[in-house]
Amino acid sequence: MPDYVIQAENITVRYGDFTAVNDISVSIEKGEIYGFLGPNGAGKTTTTKVLTTMMKPSAGTVTIGGHSSSANAREARQLVGVVQQHVAVDKDISVRENIICRAMLHKVPRKEIEFRMKELCDVIGLTPYMDRTVQELSGGWKRKLAIVCALMHNPSILFLDEPTAGLDTQSRHMLWDIIHVLNKRGTTIFLTTHYMDEAEALCDRVSIITHGVIHDTGTPRELCEKLGRFTVEYSSESGSKEYRFFDTRESAKEFYDTLPEGSAVVRGTHLEDVFLERTGRTNTKALEKALRI
Amino acid sequence: MMGIIEDIFRVALSDLYYLKRNILPLLATSMITPFLYLIAFGYGLGDGVTMGGVSYIAYMIPGVVALTTLTSSFTTISNKLMVQKRFYESFDEMMLCPISKASIILGKAVLGVIKGMLCAFILLGIGMFMTDDLQITPLLILMILLSCIVFALLGVAAGMIVSDIPRMNLFNSFVILPMTFLCGTMFSSDRLPFVIQQFIEALPLTQTSSLVRSCALGWDFPWLALVVLIGYGVLFYALAYWALRKSN
Repeated sequence: MPDYVIQAENITVRYGDFTAVNDISVSIEKGEIYGFLGPNGAGKTTTTKVLTTMMKPSAGTVTIGGHSSSANAREARQLVGVVQQHVAVDKDISVRENIICRAMLHKVPRKEIEFRMKELCDVIGLTPYMDRTVQELSGGWKRKLAIVCALMHNPSILFLDEPTAGLDTQSRHMLWDIIHVLNKRGTTIFLTTHYMDEAEALCDRVSIITHGVIHDTGTPRELCEKLGRFTVEYSSESGSKEYRFFDTRESAKEFYDTLPEGSAVVRGTHLEDVFLERTGRTNTKALEKALRI
Repeated sequence: MMGIIEDIFRVALSDLYYLKRNILPLLATSMITPFLYLIAFGYGLGDGVTMGGVSYIAYMIPGVVALTTLTSSFTTISNKLMVQKRFYESFDEMMLCPISKASIILGKAVLGVIKGMLCAFILLGIGMFMTDDLQITPLLILMILLSCIVFALLGVAAGMIVSDIPRMNLFNSFVILPMTFLCGTMFSSDRLPFVIQQFIEALPLTQTSSLVRSCALGWDFPWLALVVLIGYGVLFYALAYWALRKSN
């Protein structure tokens, strides 16, 4: 039986008549990197808020490390570190002051704060920036500060809500390295993202959510195989891109050979293909109409 | 009890760092308006005017001190909380920490209380040079502290309830600004129409003016004002608590 650190069952979140999250269940194993994928407005952030005790669901139960998020919220919170989508730190005080404040709020013993701050900042590379105010830092460094703040109380689960959104390539890869290092040190990671390459590079298991409903869960490889290991990408008569998925290279090649020369390619299926098939590709006709082409 | 005090300090710490970094501009901006009131009304009206048996300047200084506790404590907290909630989003992080709602509310009020007290002391210091009628007593300091706590709690409640800056400005223009002029801070409300007078009598700044003035000038202590002001403190705390629960 897997050792689950988070178990959410039949979670529903309603805002008036609108259902943001509809009867979803999520189980996260100890030590895994779990990806929660979905387009904008799919319900990722709302689910994250429920799983981190920031929001009470309209229905359903959440257990974090064996503690109910409603009955034992304080105990559950001690196990959780959260890096929100927007870097949620005080911008008008220094990096060091922000870290100390967060540690104090999580009741880290004072004599441990200095040691832990130094250890984490050395690992993440924040040490040279300790006395700068947050508003002096670039986006990537702000994000790293948010990660250090989230880790100060030594949580066993780290939630990262779109941690690389808006960052340049170097900063994204730096954050990926940090996520790998933290995971190797034993931290379970819950990652929401809409970058499929990120999910493919980092996650042991992913779920795809759209319109508040989970459509699929599995390892990136399993999801790709479920759709078909090989993809034929070709242009239709109207000029739009079309995709067909096949279990074997031979069947993909067979279909490829029926297409006009130079109009198609055969390639391996990516998580992005799975994501787009589950969440919907661009409606080209609607787009052309909207752009009045 | 020590646990609650420690938690209040934990919540207040980021605001205290902010105060340490910005103490001069924060105090200067809070002091300029009451200082101008003292110059314009105090010296402008001159020594010839008396109110309640004392010189106008002696009458006015406790009122301006009361007024400053409102503007300093309330504005600092409501603005800071608005920024932390809407722009920095750091307030949400606090909700994830194992800290009680009571400690969050009281901890957030600390910055307003400290700033209000500092401004009040500076004004009293200036007032001592302007008149000999002021009496600085422990009771006066206690009343100023109570006033700062009540208005800081109003700031926390407003910061939690009001959703954006235009609405906060609306609250400032239609609630805080009228209180500034009408609640017996610089003039007695005796000559105002009866209905307005009754309404003004019920407002918290009127109670503060009355308490601070009575203590500073050695008048009879207005016990009813003390009870009403404590009642306002409880009301503002309850409002903040309700808003905090609702936001979760």
